[in-house]
Amino acid sequence: MTHDPHQQAQELIACRGDGLTEAQQTWLQAHLASCDSCRDYAEAADQLVRALRSVPIAADPALVRTTQLRARAYAHKLQQQQERMWLIWISCAVVTLFTALTTPLLWQGFAWVGAWIRVPALLWQTGFVMFWIAPALAASLLFAARGTFLGSRNGTPQG
Amino acid sequence: MNATACYFVNWMEPENTAIARGLRRHDPDLLDRLIEQYQHRLLRYLIYLTGSRETAEDLFQETWLRVLERGGQYDGKHNFSTWLFAVARNLTIDLQRRKKPESLDTPRGEDEAPLDIPDSGQPSALDVVAQRELSERVMAGLARIPADYRETIVLRFHEGLSLEEIATVTGAPVGTVKSRLYRGLNALMPRLKGAQG
Repeated sequence: MTHDPHQQAQELIACRGDGLTEAQQTWLQAHLASCDSCRDYAEAADQLVRALRSVPIAADPALVRTTQLRARAYAHKLQQQQERMWLIWISCAVVTLFTALTTPLLWQGFAWVGAWIRVPALLWQTGFVMFWIAPALAASLLFAARGTFLGSRNGTPQG
Repeated sequence: MNATACYFVNWMEPENTAIARGLRRHDPDLLDRLIEQYQHRLLRYLIYLTGSRETAEDLFQETWLRVLERGGQYDGKHNFSTWLFAVARNLTIDLQRRKKPESLDTPRGEDEAPLDIPDSGQPSALDVVAQRELSERVMAGLARIPADYRETIVLRFHEGLSLEEIATVTGAPVGTVKSRLYRGLNALMPRLKGAQG
């Protein structure tokens, strides 16, 4: 903040409204009461603001309507994407739960078959692991072959 | 804080929260209402920012699509208009970067055309002509001052944003906002001498 009281007053005039503390307002009022040039500056600033506010700019109703239609269409598209994502999350949750519940049973099943056909433990355990990760591997290969699924869904709005 | 201010703050918070919730749901009815409500303010800001009504109208549409896309980022703690102006500003900067490597802070040259003068409506009488002349001088004056001063003046005196809100929109400290207001007024005043009334 400058030490020149006139420049200080002019800086405060530019920030009138919610930009001044009570002390600054009091100081400014006192200064304006005693300084003609700063009072003229304040009046000129007020006139300038009035002139600025007098410029008529209105949005064309057709522009507003077009924007609303585009926004509505895009909102529906985003909502559909959101619903699809929910389905994916729910599917993932169900699969995870099912996997957690069935994995011990599957392990028991592989152990029983391994003992019945008399193969080494390492062999049936390897078979179990391959069987266990096969769906995830297949899904990964499928997504890789079709390109990045989310990348193609999260593109920027068109239109 | 006085009672009126308390009431205002309490009224504004649920409104902003409702907007934030609606934006997260991509609610099309909410968007319709917001576009209706902020149409003039947003377009005015974009016209002053870009200096071209045509560009501003393109950005107007893009801004609302971006609002939909990034709606989840609006937390409802600030006024929606502050966030909206920030989104519009970022889009404008992106566009200007794509068009030419100048920043938003680059002042418009003296030889450039003044800002597009919008249609003033139904011209009928002498005072309408005088009003049009005043508008042209204001717009021409604004076009000649640095863009960051112009933006700050428009946000403050046209859109009625607080200094803190302007700081949020522009990403500048409050002290810089104050300085831009003062310098902007000083730059604009001599250009409008005789046009004020």
